[in-house]
Amino acid sequence: MPHQDILKSQLVREFEAQRRVTLLRQRTQQIVVLIGFSALIAVSFHVSGFFSGSQGSDPWGRIANLLDIMMPDLKPEALFENRTTAGSLSSWFYDMPTWLALLWETVQIAIVATLFGIFGGFWASLLASKNLSPSPYIYWLTRRTLEVIRTLPDLIVALILVAAFGVGPLPGVIAIALGTMASLGKLYSEANEAADMRPVEAVKAVGGSWWAQVRFGVLPQVLPHYASYGLLRLEINVGGAAALGVVGAGGIGIELSRAITYTEFDTYFALLILIIGLIILIDLVSEAIRHRLIGLEATA
Amino acid sequence: MTTSAALATPPQVTAHQMQVARAIAPHLVDTPLAVHARRLALWIGLSAVFVALCIGVDMTPAAFAKGLSKLADFMGGMFPPNAAGGEVRILQALAATFAMAVAGTFLGVLGAIPLGLLGAKTFVSNEALHFLIRRSFDVFRAIPALVWALILIVAFGLGPFGGVIALALTDIPRIAKLYAEAIENSDPRPQEGIRATGGQRRAAIRFGLLPEVLPVMASQSLYMLESNFRNAAILGIVGAGGIGFELEERIRIFAFDQVAWIVIAYVICVMALDYVSENIRSKLVHG
Repeated sequence: MPHQDILKSQLVREFEAQRRVTLLRQRTQQIVVLIGFSALIAVSFHVSGFFSGSQGSDPWGRIANLLDIMMPDLKPEALFENRTTAGSLSSWFYDMPTWLALLWETVQIAIVATLFGIFGGFWASLLASKNLSPSPYIYWLTRRTLEVIRTLPDLIVALILVAAFGVGPLPGVIAIALGTMASLGKLYSEANEAADMRPVEAVKAVGGSWWAQVRFGVLPQVLPHYASYGLLRLEINVGGAAALGVVGAGGIGIELSRAITYTEFDTYFALLILIIGLIILIDLVSEAIRHRLIGLEATA
Repeated sequence: MTTSAALATPPQVTAHQMQVARAIAPHLVDTPLAVHARRLALWIGLSAVFVALCIGVDMTPAAFAKGLSKLADFMGGMFPPNAAGGEVRILQALAATFAMAVAGTFLGVLGAIPLGLLGAKTFVSNEALHFLIRRSFDVFRAIPALVWALILIVAFGLGPFGGVIALALTDIPRIAKLYAEAIENSDPRPQEGIRATGGQRRAAIRFGLLPEVLPVMASQSLYMLESNFRNAAILGIVGAGGIGFELEERIRIFAFDQVAWIVIAYVICVMALDYVSENIRSKLVHG
């Protein structure tokens, strides 16, 4: 059947032509994306002065030099001598009582800010969940407000608050609490929206108020999520609170910037070790609590 | 008809019924005194701790009121927002901040790819080593960019270079963790299929793993870019330039109308970036 053969080969040819066009279009698209991406990266590196010598002549040498000046001059034979002996551990960590107090202040800032953030985030989440919000306007308004707060970094807010409240931990607490409220408000509202609505309807059916619906319909379902998100946020906030002192908002950060101002780079390294230790500690505690909560949830 | 009437008025419980109920199960009708006392003690204890913590961070009503009245003054000074002729400068600073974020994210991604592979169980199957690597990601993840930037600015001098490196250092553990999880969560079957047909390990990675994880990794990198735009704005405070520097300068001289202008411009830029990035991300992940 020659006629059919002709038809077939024509079909094949048409298909191949079309395929070629598709491939070409795909290839062009890839090349355009690649060029655009490379241009973005190149322009960014250029604008940020990466290769324009703003880093000085010898960046690797500078890094090596930095690591060198950050290392303390420890002497093995004097390692456990007292503070006044050069080369001992306690002369490296020479202001330990102050630093421990500031670390404790950092933790306090993180805990208080997280608690207020959880409280605020809870109320905000009720207004910002589709299934619980009293009105669509309030829902929209709350969502947008939380979004705007989330775009502002804690430290920028802290900077403004330090100008108002003065140097001290209070502006730091407020700044972190605001950020925590905005991010937990979003996470909590997602948890609320994922909650089973049947218990809520049951409470409504027996005449329960809005608060009773939330308290007995929603909260029992979402409380474990709330707690575990809150703890995760606490871990993040301890790190965040460690930086606050740089802008004068309390915590260990004030010593970090003091060490830089007085060019005590080995002290900076010591503080870095303390901060990392604190973060590990908080991590472990929070993980233990989270596991217990998950265990409770599993047995409940 | 009768059912709805019954629903509307729940049956009244008589005093006698209550008495019977009390006799059968007293702990269900009235909360025992011991439970009440325990709850009360718990609440008092927790409140005491909370109040102590609040006092520890100067969170007293007096300090609060004083600061709030000043803050209200500042807020009043914010309107109307005014750039005082610095529009071009501010927008340039915003662009520089964005550039810092892009450069930092790019370097962070480059650094995180090998670490992400190391952190994935698929590549490093030794249990103890895997635990150690992932834990170290967790620890370094919590160190804020500002802490890196402070010391790097000393090494490299004022300017965005130290800021870019600080952003990259902050990102590497965060991205590496995300990448490691993406690799671990990938479906092993395509790779097994390629191995089964005689493909090399490299071929298995190229054609079995990459097509699956690359969109996820790209989407996470974009997410990091969003977060870096926020971080880069902070670094100006310690001398990396950009919008943070402009902002700090204005806050220092109490020029709050200009502060408001910068904050509004910044929020619009962040939201625009988030919007674009979110769209690309959902395209990447859902095809």
